[in-house]
Amino acid sequence: MNSKRSVVANAGDKGTDTEQRPLRARDGLSEQDHLEILKQLYLARYFDVRLIKEKRRGRLRGTLYSSHNQEAILVGTLYGLRPSDWISPIHRDMPAFFLKDLRGNWDNDDRMGMSIGEVCAQVWGRATAPGRARDNWSHIGDASKGIICSTSMLAGTIPVAAGVVYDAKLKGEDTVCLTYNGEGSTSQGVFHEAINFAAIHKLAVVTIIENNQWAYGTPLELGSPVEDVADRAKGYDIPGLIADGQDVLDVLDKTMWAVERGRAGKGPSLIECKTFRAYGHGDHDDDRAAKYRGADEVEKGRSRDPIAVFKKYLVEKGILTKAEAKKYSPEGKHANETTDEDFPPDVVDIMKKGVEFALDSPLPEASEATKWVFAEPRR
Amino acid sequence: MSAVIAEGTQTVNMLTAIKQALFEEMEREPGMVCIGEDIGILGGAFGVTEGLQDRFGAERVIDAPISEALIVGAAVGMSMRGRPVMAEMQFIDFISCGFDQIVNNAATMHYRTAGKVSLPMVIRGPSGGYGGGGPYHSQQNEAWFAHSPGLRVVCPSTPSDAYGLLKTCLRDNNPCIFYEVKELYRKREIEEQIPGGDYTVPLGKARIAREGSDLTFVTYGNMVYFCLEAAVKLAEEGIEAEIIDLRSLVPLDDEAILNSIKKTNRVIAVNEAPMTCGFAGEILARVNEYAFEYLDAPPARVTRTDTPVPWVKPLELAVLPSVDDIYEAAKRAVNY
Ligand SMILES: Cc1ncc(C[n+]2csc(CCOP(=O)(O)OP(=O)(O)O)c2C)c(N)n1
Ligand SMILES: [Mg+2]
Repeated sequence: MNSKRSVVANAGDKGTDTEQRPLRARDGLSEQDHLEILKQLYLARYFDVRLIKEKRRGRLRGTLYSSHNQEAILVGTLYGLRPSDWISPIHRDMPAFFLKDLRGNWDNDDRMGMSIGEVCAQVWGRATAPGRARDNWSHIGDASKGIICSTSMLAGTIPVAAGVVYDAKLKGEDTVCLTYNGEGSTSQGVFHEAINFAAIHKLAVVTIIENNQWAYGTPLELGSPVEDVADRAKGYDIPGLIADGQDVLDVLDKTMWAVERGRAGKGPSLIECKTFRAYGHGDHDDDRAAKYRGADEVEKGRSRDPIAVFKKYLVEKGILTKAEAKKYSPEGKHANETTDEDFPPDVVDIMKKGVEFALDSPLPEASEATKWVFAEPRR
Repeated sequence: MSAVIAEGTQTVNMLTAIKQALFEEMEREPGMVCIGEDIGILGGAFGVTEGLQDRFGAERVIDAPISEALIVGAAVGMSMRGRPVMAEMQFIDFISCGFDQIVNNAATMHYRTAGKVSLPMVIRGPSGGYGGGGPYHSQQNEAWFAHSPGLRVVCPSTPSDAYGLLKTCLRDNNPCIFYEVKELYRKREIEEQIPGGDYTVPLGKARIAREGSDLTFVTYGNMVYFCLEAAVKLAEEGIEAEIIDLRSLVPLDDEAILNSIKKTNRVIAVNEAPMTCGFAGEILARVNEYAFEYLDAPPARVTRTDTPVPWVKPLELAVLPSVDDIYEAAKRAVNY
């Protein structure tokens, strides 16, 4: 084997940068960026908490796959992207749809991400949802916003991401596509087929693995022979990085390293973010999950709340005082234990408006059910 | 622990009937293996395999990685050595990810080996719409497999049939796709007692779900109940519909269809799947071939529209067949 290839960022690097340039995206963050990241963590958490409560009140249909405890992965992977970059979130990533291109853009509905209102309309199954509620929850997308519309079939967006980036490459663009997957989804053939192609053609596809230790009721060891899913990158001779999924800046650093590498034409990367699923697989599974996962395991898995981890860092850096850090404290709390007072008012407010937008929106008309099976011919 | 879940005169729902058949077949065939996503520790997404791993161990009840191609392919490998295998699809929609292993490998194995290799394997999973599952948790995709020679295709509508057919399929020597309508899993109204004494239901034998003299509904799965409801409405107007519940599509009970049409002279085929190349179309093609001269009205079908199954209720109900659709098709046939 070509020795030069194996030196370059081998999967065995466990997250250390083996290429000369140790890019640390965090070094370029302003104080304002730090506060914005914290706010985004609050927003992602509040969105989830609110939906959990709405679901309990019987106001929502469909399954809720909570992203609680995994928000640092969403915020950290998305924060450094360019508006023109692409993403493909899946079931556990609802906040990703509005976190994309959110930075400093909270009031701009024309940004390259979805608005919270649109995402709420989707959850409530309204006609104002991106796909007019034809498919549920996370199955939304919009090519004009750089978001791949996923199906239920796990890992199914990675080949699509490869196609997106291949197209961009043909056009001379340095677009990057981030795909999101659970660790369980790395067993699908298409996961490997797509990464293989991306590696051959050096496509800037960054595969994010949210390793939350469980795939529905199946623990990691029954889904993967390697404990570090990042090691799966070895077979494709691409970097397999491991990020601390509870640490938003570690996720950001690793992601941006892979993103810049991809932009430079050096090909795909895989980033395994270690985390833990806070609740059942979906809300329908909460009771059963309490039986197949031990209370100790859950307590340990949730002991490093990403909001707490980041606040501690901000206090250490002198960006927040201890008192400021304490002001809004949803961390460590079960969704049902939190109140609006645990979140900054502007976070509560933007979600409130999103929910109102959804509730004010009509349901789709039955008459549109058979529309859009085929597109109009190209001119 | 005894393998028997329901005993004596107890009535059970369809899910329990299927579970019981699995327990009993695992008991009866010490070599039998079950493989699927989350079927062991969790006991299956719907709980069909609850307790199975505790009873028979993790070696025989395998929690598979998320790979339908692997699940089906491994079932082919085990069953070609004579080991019966039950392979679960968490939702039958995900069977598409194992498609090649099914239609090209499993389906044709016996043919390609000139009868030397047979595959005692059943791929079963929850199917069907009306539950708000959207495009990927609502499919009734039996036509894909009926179109692949070498596969049994089965879709029971009652607890006893589910129990008896699953046993038959597990004891059969051919790959089988077994559709379990998830809306029927826990449907109270259809709970019943399962006949005792190692009860099995033969393949290729339809059941008459309702006798009638004026027209024939040919259907299966959840649509049996839609036809029954339509039949009640029709009966109020003095029209007596016969309902043939096919139970197994491949092999198909042509004789039952023909005999009923000889009596009623009118036929409506009903399937939940889309119209084009759906199984109702196959039924009508056959009816035209062997029952043409008995028909007093054009044979018709009621199906889903040729669209995916959308998620929200008003859209979902707009594309799926309704009792009214069936009733109206029947009226057209009767008034022809
Ligand atoms: C091809 C396919 N098979 C099965 C499923 C059913 N399913 C949905 S989510 C899930 C578990 C996913 O686990 P993981 O990839 O670890 O993601 P997590 O839910 O933990 O975030 C399964 C089996 C599916 N959606 N697609
Ligand atoms: Mg997982």
